[in-house]
Amino acid sequence: MNAKERVMAVLNHQKPDRMPCFGANSTVTYEQMEKVGAYWPEGHNKGEAMAKQALAAYSVLGFDAVRVPYCQTFEAVALGCIRKPGKIREIEGIPGIEHPPPYKLDDSPEFPPDFLSRGYIPELIKAVEILKKEVGDEVPIVAGIIGPFTIAGSLLDSVPLLKATFKAPQKIRPFLDVGEKAGTALAKALVDAGADIIACEDMTASPELIAPKTYKEFELEYQRKQFDAISVPTILHICGNVDAIIEWMGQTGADILSLEPKASAQLARDKCGPDAILMGGVDTATTLFMKDAETVKEGCEESIADGIQILAPGCAVAPGTPTENLLAMVEVAKAH
Amino acid sequence: MKVLDDFSNIFKRYDLDLEKTGEAREVSKDATMQEIAQFVVDGDDEGILPAVQKALESKSPLDVINDALIAGMNEVSRLWDEGIYFLPQVILSSDAMNVGIAECEAKMGKAMDRKSTVVTHTAEGDIHDIGQVIVNALLNANGFKVVNLGADVPVEKVVAACKEHRPVMVTGTALMTTTMTAFPKIAHQLKAAGLNVPFICGGGAVCEEYVTSYDLGVWGKEASQAPGMAEDATAGESWESMRGKWNG
Repeated sequence: MNAKERVMAVLNHQKPDRMPCFGANSTVTYEQMEKVGAYWPEGHNKGEAMAKQALAAYSVLGFDAVRVPYCQTFEAVALGCIRKPGKIREIEGIPGIEHPPPYKLDDSPEFPPDFLSRGYIPELIKAVEILKKEVGDEVPIVAGIIGPFTIAGSLLDSVPLLKATFKAPQKIRPFLDVGEKAGTALAKALVDAGADIIACEDMTASPELIAPKTYKEFELEYQRKQFDAISVPTILHICGNVDAIIEWMGQTGADILSLEPKASAQLARDKCGPDAILMGGVDTATTLFMKDAETVKEGCEESIADGIQILAPGCAVAPGTPTENLLAMVEVAKAH
Repeated sequence: MKVLDDFSNIFKRYDLDLEKTGEAREVSKDATMQEIAQFVVDGDDEGILPAVQKALESKSPLDVINDALIAGMNEVSRLWDEGIYFLPQVILSSDAMNVGIAECEAKMGKAMDRKSTVVTHTAEGDIHDIGQVIVNALLNANGFKVVNLGADVPVEKVVAACKEHRPVMVTGTALMTTTMTAFPKIAHQLKAAGLNVPFICGGGAVCEEYVTSYDLGVWGKEASQAPGMAEDATAGESWESMRGKWNG
């Protein structure tokens, strides 16, 4: 099987020749950038460099998918946030959002009609088109969008948003609505450009930030609406220990649930049933970035024993992660 | 015959559900104090002001701070530790407590006496200051003076704040592995300046091996450890002894 057949087999609930391994989140690293000759910040704002870096996941690591982009700012910038460059001193890092945010809780956020041509979105679409041409037949293309709650957090800043979840929860709805529209519109454009899988990252919806009941009463309906509108297979990634909300994550309509190792894959299986496809593997900071290949392998084996079906870094890979640790993941996948 | 296919209820302690939705315990027998504590527990930063003003007509500001405001926040810490409260509630409660403390301090004509000073910051390049928000709230609630440098703080600014405020402890939070590299630089500069202050580093990306690889570093696993660590630092414990106690 080639990478695409392997991943699609899992998505179709058939047996692949072996376990696939790829990232729901960014997997690009400084070492991979060196190998393919494409660097940051261009990889965050130029389609060609972005595509080149994504290809490294396949050509350098042997992962079973290529994935763009490498930060969480595309929708937010197109909605009026200002991108803060990732550069700290001499090192290019991951862009964030500048303070102050564009909106306050009493404002009415707008979804601009020209959303898809704003900010860096055209470059992201271009990157997917390039990937489709380069490897579209053999490697699935994973394109990332950001979940409604996390976009709302960029528009309002996270602390005001968190306070509002208890003080004035109805006021967050217009922001979730715009966040959902933005992610869904971007997802559709990325699918048109050639994306095979849409991965939705929704960091701010984690129980480590909001109460589980806020997820259930607010975010769930917007995520459902979003996944319902996307025609290709989908991944939902929420950071941290999501045990308290995993049951509802299973009701969003996402085909694959991407978990960090601190969340229980066994519990996810119990709560979400046999059809949920579980993706995960090792902790990106404490294991992949800090430890050696042997420890990475042990972490992967534990996750597989826990019920993971697609091996993956638990979250976005730290750009300083050694290549050999990522190669160790593929080695484990090949043995299953 | 219906076969029982779900055994989960057989072993269920029904009182556990009750505990999970548990309410705050009473912190004071005095109705006025209890009312104020309840505003803290409820995170009501508007209702608390008239209640504190009324209490100050008959009670000393220090008693209101200790027996109502901080007592209420301790209850919030307990509910957080037990997984009943979530982060938004801790932030709202801390806000309410601070409104009350400001009113009491105005009445006293001076800031309340704090146990000691702690400088807190989130690493340069890191805009995710949620971990620090919790640390600030808990330190505040436990009677420490918090010099809050906020998020995305350059190395030099942290060092300068330590020179100025002479804290017993410094904390650094980082959610991203790209930003935590500022920590050893801060530790190095603090040491060079003769400030051998325990430097507690924690947050999503930060692990024990990393923090204990440089002098002054003590790994903070959970935000809830911050008050206990600040107590140790106030008692004069060195970074080496704190590392021995809290790490490894």
